Amino acid sequence: MTLTATSFDWVRALVHKESAIVLQPGKEYLVEARLLPIARQMGIPDVSTYVESVRSRPSPDSTRQIVEALTTNETSWFRDGDPFTALTSTVMPALLAARGPNERLQIWSAACSSGQEPYTIAMLLEDAIPNAASRVSITATDLSREMVERTKAGRFSQLEVNRGLPAPMLVRHFTRAGSEWEVAPQLRRMVTASECNLAAPLPRMGPFDVVYLRNVLIYFDLPTKQAILRRVRELMRPDGWLFLGAAETTLGVDDSWERVVVGRSSAYRPLKGN
Amino acid sequence: MNDVDTGERRRSGETRPVITELIDEATVQSIAEDAWTALVGEDEILLPIPGELTGDIVSSWVDVVGPWTGTVVLTTGRETAAGLTRALLGDHAPDELEDEDIADAFGEIANVVGGNVKAALPGPSALSLPDVGDAPAVRNPADVCRLDVLWRGEPLSISVQGALPALPGAPQN
Amino acid sequence: MRALVIDDSRAMRRIVSGILEGLGYETQQAGHGREGLDVLDGGWLPELVCVDWNMPVMDGLQFVSAVRANPAYRQLTIMMVTSESEHTQIVRALAAGAHEYMIKPFTADAFRDKLALLGLLPQEVAL
Repeated sequence: MTLTATSFDWVRALVHKESAIVLQPGKEYLVEARLLPIARQMGIPDVSTYVESVRSRPSPDSTRQIVEALTTNETSWFRDGDPFTALTSTVMPALLAARGPNERLQIWSAACSSGQEPYTIAMLLEDAIPNAASRVSITATDLSREMVERTKAGRFSQLEVNRGLPAPMLVRHFTRAGSEWEVAPQLRRMVTASECNLAAPLPRMGPFDVVYLRNVLIYFDLPTKQAILRRVRELMRPDGWLFLGAAETTLGVDDSWERVVVGRSSAYRPLKGN
Repeated sequence: MNDVDTGERRRSGETRPVITELIDEATVQSIAEDAWTALVGEDEILLPIPGELTGDIVSSWVDVVGPWTGTVVLTTGRETAAGLTRALLGDHAPDELEDEDIADAFGEIANVVGGNVKAALPGPSALSLPDVGDAPAVRNPADVCRLDVLWRGEPLSISVQGALPALPGAPQN
Repeated sequence: MRALVIDDSRAMRRIVSGILEGLGYETQQAGHGREGLDVLDGGWLPELVCVDWNMPVMDGLQFVSAVRANPAYRQLTIMMVTSESEHTQIVRALAAGAHEYMIKPFTADAFRDKLALLGLLPQEVAL
């Protein structure tokens, strides 16, 4: 345990102020586990040194990075459900009205982890649109080959389906497979998974109507964030929609996006003329 | 519940499945690991290494009644069961554990493991309330799926065992 | 906010109540469905009921049906918390009137996720 009491207390206070979440004493290991990847990314060997460097010269970017890393959990289904509500209430109706009946909409889940995000999108569309599989395709990508394989398999443990998946959706879209749950074949057919490193030039994909790029940018420095946002925009339709993590924004990073409020969530749309 | 197959009417039939055709040790292990991670503690692991159960041992179990009928039995040393109880209760553990506390907590672990084993088997089946004491006898050695593990270095076994004797002419092993 | 925790295992009642109290809930406990109904009939009406399935005297499914049959309890949100985990069992519980279904084993994080889905997670959350 390299985390000092001073560092932990400062992180606790910061997270509480920014998110209303209380980190209780004894959760030092959580702070270590979540912040170590960021520290390493910045070439800092331990979490306390990293926290001290942010504390001595805090910037909105660096403090947000800490808050975000401690308050997101990539393995939940509907955690922070507003970007999903926005999809069915606003984004899909607008896109379906704007496109021809034979045009297939393309959605990109750009950091799909073990598949919870792309399958959450697939379930919502299946429930909202008749013949969803013929109207929409979902591209799921992740840096990790293991995560891509898990997404393709579409199998989840009991503990995983307990994480924020509404029971009515579980019984509608999953079947038991031994000790696991398997997502329905028609949902798996909507999702294509492949490896993709967002920090490098992207493969030919899209053009995408909707992109979910949530809780990814926090792990990168400003120039890399800018490069990622530029590359993502190049793969999007001019009237497309981008969803970021709740504490992420394009503001102050890349000014070629327009921030729009969608229900209780925010989305970003490419600015014309960029 | 009238949609539950009690297994009784199968006694006159030609065949009934034995547990090894329905579930394997790896599945039982993953069920047990999930239960330990969630209930006992995030860092608690079960090593799939057999150890010898000696001295004062205790079992907890639940019955599964359905297309396959049998019992899911957890067996370990009494001290280990007490350790599991403390881990399960965490901050809520009393200073002095009573036998009743151990029976309750060890029984609940059997309920959690047993419920998930039941769900991995063909259904519909009914699950009994947990019981604690001396393990029910094995009725048919061919109808047992047994997992031996070490928790914190102490041996513990999970046995999914049929409640019915072998059918005449069925293979014995 | 208030929650009634019904489970025949004392250990499980303590675990569930502990999570809820950590989130600021006031809790009461009952050892089976009949005891749970007695708490409600006594006038202690919580926002949330967490109820196990397999219990002596009155099981969780009977409890859900009894609560749903009483218009006075229309406001109650019910979550089954049980090791019963077949597809068909979850469908039965939802059809009987449970709003959510938590499969044992679960983590405290999973519990918070379910409360968030139900709109019953207090604003200030302990992580």
